[in-house]
Amino acid sequence: MKDPKKNARRSRKAKEFSLTFIRSILLIGLCFVILFPTIQQILMALRAPIDVNNPAVIWIPENWSVMNIKIASIVLDYRHAVFNSFKLSGISMILQMASTALAGYAFSRLKFKGSNILFILVILTIVIPPQALSLAQYLYFRNLGLIGKEGSIYLMSGLGMGIRSGIFIYIFRSFFKGLPKELEESAMIDGAGVFRTFWSVMLPNARGALVTVGLFAFVWQWNDAYYVKIFEVSTQQFPLLTMRLINAAENMYAALFYTGGLDLIGQDVWENPVFLALISNVSALLMMLPLLIMYLFVQKQFVESIERTGIVG
Amino acid sequence: MEDIKKTPKLPIKLPKMTYKQQKLFWAIIFLLPWAIGILLLFLVPFIESLRYSFFDLTPQAGEIVKEFIGFENYRYAMNTHVTSISSFRVELLTTTTDVLINLPVLLIFSLFIAVLLNMKFKGRAIVRAIFFVPVILNSAAVVSAVGGGEAINAILEQQGIDRIFDLEFYLLQTGMAPFLITFIVGLIERIYDILALAGVPILLFLASIQSIPKHLYEAAKIEGATSYEMFWLITLPNVTPHIITVTVYALVDTFLTSSVSTIISDELNSQNWGLSSAMAWIYVAVIILILIVLGAFAKLLKIGESHYEN
Repeated sequence: MKDPKKNARRSRKAKEFSLTFIRSILLIGLCFVILFPTIQQILMALRAPIDVNNPAVIWIPENWSVMNIKIASIVLDYRHAVFNSFKLSGISMILQMASTALAGYAFSRLKFKGSNILFILVILTIVIPPQALSLAQYLYFRNLGLIGKEGSIYLMSGLGMGIRSGIFIYIFRSFFKGLPKELEESAMIDGAGVFRTFWSVMLPNARGALVTVGLFAFVWQWNDAYYVKIFEVSTQQFPLLTMRLINAAENMYAALFYTGGLDLIGQDVWENPVFLALISNVSALLMMLPLLIMYLFVQKQFVESIERTGIVG
Repeated sequence: MEDIKKTPKLPIKLPKMTYKQQKLFWAIIFLLPWAIGILLLFLVPFIESLRYSFFDLTPQAGEIVKEFIGFENYRYAMNTHVTSISSFRVELLTTTTDVLINLPVLLIFSLFIAVLLNMKFKGRAIVRAIFFVPVILNSAAVVSAVGGGEAINAILEQQGIDRIFDLEFYLLQTGMAPFLITFIVGLIERIYDILALAGVPILLFLASIQSIPKHLYEAAKIEGATSYEMFWLITLPNVTPHIITVTVYALVDTFLTSSVSTIISDELNSQNWGLSSAMAWIYVAVIILILIVLGAFAKLLKIGESHYEN
């Protein structure tokens, strides 16, 4: 009361402290919610199959073992499937980045009469669901002989019609729009052509957008079950993780039976339906694992890229 | 600029013209792959599938037999269609109402998280990295394998712990209105789903917050504004232009991952092609209708118009 200045400072400090406190609790709690299922899955993957029948095991396995992982990887045909998924996602990521970056640049920096009308088509590709198109696309690809081949996915990605390509074009467009005009002008004065300007001035400056789009293009292709199913890309010779996982999850017992996974464990274990659910879980973890590891490596770039993705209307 | 003035002999005008022409030339080249794609893989299938929806298509050795049946597919989809657990009409209705209820929650939640993540604090990079993990792990295949956590719950239940903390019971004790409790408990149980759905919206909001000029905040700070005032007077008005983007994304995304989508895919896979096309078109009509309504709302409330530039 005697010193209002001191009081105000104290109350501001208290406010600041409570803000930090509430924020920390919220963020820590939400991070826990996010990480909780994954941690749980990892711990479940590492328990021995016999622990399924052991009511004492809740979190920490009593007998550590990689048996579950072994069985799940047999069910998924893991070695081949991971390689194929990497190949499919990697190539389609590069194709998608190329086609959407070019289109995004043209829409933001190389404007001409009617380019805004064309951009409405980009928005339309975002809004129209793939289901409305896939039958006609299927018949189209059947005529081209692309059904059952990875080429169908590459063709879609390369022509800017891959998974959510419209959003990538949108991201690139807003990013290139946000780059200062002076960059382009100074490059022009230095005698660089339009392509040189794009390739050696604008693109290196667009690293933020490139990282974001690249990550999403890879991840969404990796997780994609829809197009892969429609175009029958996953075959016996070319197994993909998503389709193997979905097929296994639909009938885990059959999947275990046909791949010989049952021989690795006793009857008392595989008769337990909880065990089948457990293997299903471990399979899901195995499918996500390469993505998680990859994310660990690019995560810093990705998080930093948000700071530079400054979206401008 | 001064350099150019000093050397008037340089034929500035001529290269400028060609530069413009060059721009058009490269614009065509840059857009070529996309233009081919949009023509062959979007517009043609788009019209074709609209045509299919009026036909009864039956596959026969190597070809497809078409029979024009008018709006029969649409009628069937809306009135007669049933699956083992539900029907197209019911799923469409629940998805639509769910979207309309969840969309505001999703928008507010993701904006709130984006503001939190934008603040400066220790370990910000780690928290941000963790928040985008659900975006990475959000996959239909994983959901089908994990069974929406049912498998885990089955294991936990078998071991005698189904819930560590019974929130619903606790809230009932406080004497809260039951409908409010179901809403809150529902939200909390779905928090992982919401977080997964909110990943990209958070990203979009965060990017738009980052693009707000820093000097606005500095000026406000000098004037003695609190962080609360800064949020309402600087952050929010500057973010509103992007609310439309986020809404469109969230709307399309929730519909894409909804059970309506699954029904359409299932019909497609069981070769009821005309029917699935008709369903897809009903779905498109619903989304566009919602977008138009939201757009009108936004116009009415002047959301989405830039606060400073106009």
